[in-house]
Amino acid sequence: MLAVDQLSVFHGPIEAVHGISFNVAAGQCVSLLGPNGAGKTSTISAITGVVRATGRIEVDGEIMSDQPVESRILKGVSVAPEGRRVFANLSVEDNLKLGGAIVQNKANIRSDIAHWLQTFPVLGERRAQLAGTLSGGEQQMLAIARALMSRPKILLLDEPSLGLAPKIVAQIFDIIRHLKNEGMTILLVEQNATQALKLSDYSYLLNNGKIVAEGSAEKLGQSNELMAELTGIA
Amino acid sequence: MTRGLYGVALISIVLIAIGVATTYFGSRYHLRLVYGAYVNLLVVLGLQVFMGNARITNLSHSAFMGIGAYVAAICVTPETVKAISLPQAPWGLNAFSLDPISSALIAIAITAIIAALIGLIIVRLTAIGATIVSLAVLVIVHSVFLFRTDIFKGNQAFFGIPQVFSLTSIVILSVAVVFIARMFRESKWGVQLRASADDELGAQASGVNIHQVRLIAWILSGILLSIAGIAYAFYLGTISARPFYFNHVFLTLAMLILGGMRTVTGAVLGTLIISFGLESVRWIETGPVVLGIDLPEVLGLSGVVLGAVIVLTMAFRPEGIMGDREVEDLLLKP
Repeated sequence: MLAVDQLSVFHGPIEAVHGISFNVAAGQCVSLLGPNGAGKTSTISAITGVVRATGRIEVDGEIMSDQPVESRILKGVSVAPEGRRVFANLSVEDNLKLGGAIVQNKANIRSDIAHWLQTFPVLGERRAQLAGTLSGGEQQMLAIARALMSRPKILLLDEPSLGLAPKIVAQIFDIIRHLKNEGMTILLVEQNATQALKLSDYSYLLNNGKIVAEGSAEKLGQSNELMAELTGIA
Repeated sequence: MTRGLYGVALISIVLIAIGVATTYFGSRYHLRLVYGAYVNLLVVLGLQVFMGNARITNLSHSAFMGIGAYVAAICVTPETVKAISLPQAPWGLNAFSLDPISSALIAIAITAIIAALIGLIIVRLTAIGATIVSLAVLVIVHSVFLFRTDIFKGNQAFFGIPQVFSLTSIVILSVAVVFIARMFRESKWGVQLRASADDELGAQASGVNIHQVRLIAWILSGILLSIAGIAYAFYLGTISARPFYFNHVFLTLAMLILGGMRTVTGAVLGTLIISFGLESVRWIETGPVVLGIDLPEVLGLSGVVLGAVIVLTMAFRPEGIMGDREVEDLLLKP
């Protein structure tokens, strides 16, 4: 489904990611793990097309790397960005409407909004409320629902657990598990490795802009190397 | 959208009521005062379309109003008058005249083209950069009005413009512009623009073409401002460069900030409060006798009050009186 080959990402003159390659098969949940500054968000941003990058990004065999953000969304890439980035002064409903704005016709948008408000009943109760007044967990749900409004082939989740209480983190991971069970292809970026590993079919460990380890949850979970990379404790 | 129409209807009732009351009970002085308030209402609405939705401060709005006013004036003024007032005009500008509707359409078109060209730069800048460029645009346009006296007559009056507008025409125009501004705010573009003001990166990630929606709003804003300028010229019959400069920029900015730039209701409310409030301040300025007390003359009080309104609003209610609420939000359940 998603194939990334020799991807390098630049922030101005600085190269944040150095020629990494990885794959996500259809229906899988794959995670990119690693400490702060490893290049996880840079990788996500390169896939969505908001930063300068070299290398090859393919979705369903179609090359994305040379296309602008809008056409990548049209072709099935959608992201719930780091820090949620909901539109604080728009209502929950308008946030969702925006998620579908460039992809869907009006009728589909209406039925999709109804569908997601049903899936996330907390959002349903708050549909007319301004997104800025939601709690962190609710904003994260909204960010995920907004990303799903474009009916993506692959959903990119950037640090969905960031800054949330443990109980809420568990809820968010339940949602991700639910989406996976429904057949959604997911690329998950996380610092919270324990939770992410449990959920993922396959994981890549990123450090200093390079992939330093990869494998299934079982393999990586037992590796001391991984724990050392993530915690800094050898 | 339906809620939006309800809001437009409520505002329209107020605007029409003020217009009707002035027409039947007002003196000539009141008529002029209310007409001026409605011209400023058109300006503030035009300003709101870009500034309120994109949340980028614009300081060039009075210049666009001036462009609309001058182009319409040059087109509509009879050759006989222009032969006297603009004897040196280049490109045969004093050798033709058009009917008011064609003149207005040409004025709108030219303002829209100029707005589009400047907009191509403005929409690519950061908020501060855009504001500084808009300030530069104001100064450039004013300098052209002031020193190309062969076309614009500078600080002298450009006279002889047929007075084709009445209070009724501007009330109708105001209702139409309230409708346009509100529908734009609720449209796909308006929502995308407000989203990009909340979170530029988030909007980009949702596929919003920020430059494009900003440009659309900027041009629409320019068109509405040119309509305000045309309405001004078509009523007064005389225009000059001075009214389209700093004082007016500051006055209309204060109106929008006080009412709340994020909503159309805020724009209308701020304009009405300051237009009529400032009139009472001007009356106090002259040192009237109130309840037997002879107040002293306080020249410049209106400027002080206007500045104070901006300072106090920014300090205590930076989102303006209305904040995020449109008029129907006060009356209807969510």
